[in-house]
Amino acid sequence: MPETVIDVSNLVKSYSDLRAVDGISFSIKRGEVFSLLGPNGAGKTTTVEILEGVRNRTSGDVRVLNEDPEKSRTLTFKLGILPQDFSFIYNSTPKEALTFYKHTLRASGDIQEILEMVELGDKATTPFQKLSGGQKQKLGLALSLVNDPEVLFLDEPTSGLDPRARRNIWNVIKTLKERGKSILLTTHYLEEAELLADRVAIMNKGKIIDSGTPMEIVERHHEDDNLIIRGDGQVERDLAAGGFQFQRDGSYIKLRLKNIRDATSIINYLSEHKTKFEDFTLKRESLEDVFIRMVGEIEEDETE
Amino acid sequence: MKLSRVSAYFSLHARSYLRSRSALFFQIAFPIILILLFGAIFSGSSYSPSTLVIQNESPSTVSWGVVDAINSSGLFKVQLIPQNENLSNYITTNSVQAALLIPSNFTSNLYSGGLGFVVLKGHTNPTVATADYETLNGILTQINFRASNTTQKLVLSSQVAIGNTGKTIDYYVPGLIGFTVLSTMFNMVYTVPNYRRERLFRQLSFSGLTKSEWITANMLFSFLMLVLSDVILVAIGIYAFGASLTLNAETILTSALIIFGGLFFFTSVGILAGLVSDNEETVSVVGNLVMFPMMFLSGVFFPLTFAPAYLVTISKFLPLTYFINSLISVLDYGNISTVAIQIVWLLLGSAILFAIAVKLFSWKQK
Repeated sequence: MPETVIDVSNLVKSYSDLRAVDGISFSIKRGEVFSLLGPNGAGKTTTVEILEGVRNRTSGDVRVLNEDPEKSRTLTFKLGILPQDFSFIYNSTPKEALTFYKHTLRASGDIQEILEMVELGDKATTPFQKLSGGQKQKLGLALSLVNDPEVLFLDEPTSGLDPRARRNIWNVIKTLKERGKSILLTTHYLEEAELLADRVAIMNKGKIIDSGTPMEIVERHHEDDNLIIRGDGQVERDLAAGGFQFQRDGSYIKLRLKNIRDATSIINYLSEHKTKFEDFTLKRESLEDVFIRMVGEIEEDETE
Repeated sequence: MKLSRVSAYFSLHARSYLRSRSALFFQIAFPIILILLFGAIFSGSSYSPSTLVIQNESPSTVSWGVVDAINSSGLFKVQLIPQNENLSNYITTNSVQAALLIPSNFTSNLYSGGLGFVVLKGHTNPTVATADYETLNGILTQINFRASNTTQKLVLSSQVAIGNTGKTIDYYVPGLIGFTVLSTMFNMVYTVPNYRRERLFRQLSFSGLTKSEWITANMLFSFLMLVLSDVILVAIGIYAFGASLTLNAETILTSALIIFGGLFFFTSVGILAGLVSDNEETVSVVGNLVMFPMMFLSGVFFPLTFAPAYLVTISKFLPLTYFINSLISVLDYGNISTVAIQIVWLLLGSAILFAIAVKLFSWKQK
């Protein structure tokens, strides 16, 4: 069984009468990508900053690589951290920044190789203030890799980036995953978590409201799946004759499925009756659909 | 330009600004402090007599009469020194600004119908020297009139040294070096809140750098910059304006030590001031609030000889006063031994303040 690299138990962070993190518990295994999801103000960044050791907790127990980040002086050397809203000294260049980190973290990594990995090789000597938003973020990621860390904290690594830059960072994260790194990823992009994370935890108002693999969460919370068929009146008539419930929406016919396997029966039925249709799509709820409903339901419950 | 847009932004800015209570407080407090400061210096509401050392080498009724007249004028605090004291040495070792010598032939000259010469000596800046001369001359003229009503019998001559060569620049060079040391404080007053706002401390903490290391690195850089700028400053003073400073290995090393101590002190003050500056509006106001009183009350730009007594007292509590006085003693007089203890105290105070600043300064997110 893989070793636990991060263990959080009943973690609480309070600011006077506000509980930003309200008794959460989770653990991350070595080589796992674990994603914290949640709306703004859910407590994701506070949680991550407590794990990084830059913020003190109110109560609870936190272990990162078997050390308490609040007390450890050596943990920084084993971690790679890309914080939210990454910023650096305005006039320093990526090469200077990485050289500085290499010295202070007593690392042996090849700076040029790291810059190339994040596609920043041609910007090595460009001052930070002249880098684009995506390039700045890439520099932050590069800095988190200088010491070849065992555990990485990536707090919204692709926030505000264009699709191409986002995909580039995803590729870097996939490479890191292949190399066996343990990664705690927070993100607003559910698609990102679905693609990269082995497990996710959904946070809202300081609490974890569910956790598991993306598939497990979708399974637990999804509503009916839909089969969308594009076809004419004959398709409608044959479906009605077969006793199927459906709705017409423009050129599409939508059928709600109690079970995803029902889609096969419907398509087989139409084929047996030689009903002609143009194409069909199986529309399954994504993690994002489930997430929005879960968070929305909580908001509505509290309003009531 | 649309006034509606101007008005909209005015409203936005005003609301944002007024929401910061600290900025509002300093915005109001700072002008009040300035007017109190300058009003006190220049209003002349009270007068603080400066010390006048008198050596009477010709004790007689007449010479003691002159001493009494000076003393009773209330314009000087008279301090008598023995006849056998070497006045020139006394002036140097005690950094005396004004000393009056009543020479040994003073009484005999007057009794033989001649003129009674007295000599104003000392080591000060031109403003003080001129004022002391004029004040003493006025007192002597009154004595003359009381004695004869017509003829001028008592004559004052001046041998006051201003720096080594009598140039104003000699006084200002150490003062300006003190000012460059003081200005390093501003680096921290601005950097600390800016780095906190930009979350650069957090980022630096991920590099394994500690706060003490960050402060030390900043200080070393500032020290190098200071040495560079002060070398240029001294060179311009000497070669462009003919300043005459006592420069040898001992005075240069002692000056470097004073500058380093000052850097320690003012960096620490800057960090502490930066810690209370929680937003952009407050930063410059806090910086000015800390810097300007020291700049004006420690004698960087003008002497406080004629300032009210309480301001002189306040200046004695300002560390910059001691840094500048130490630099003046070392660079103008070559006088290290008399300020040695003062320098040790300054370094000790700087180390304590530095330790407090490092302790209170946290990289953790609030």
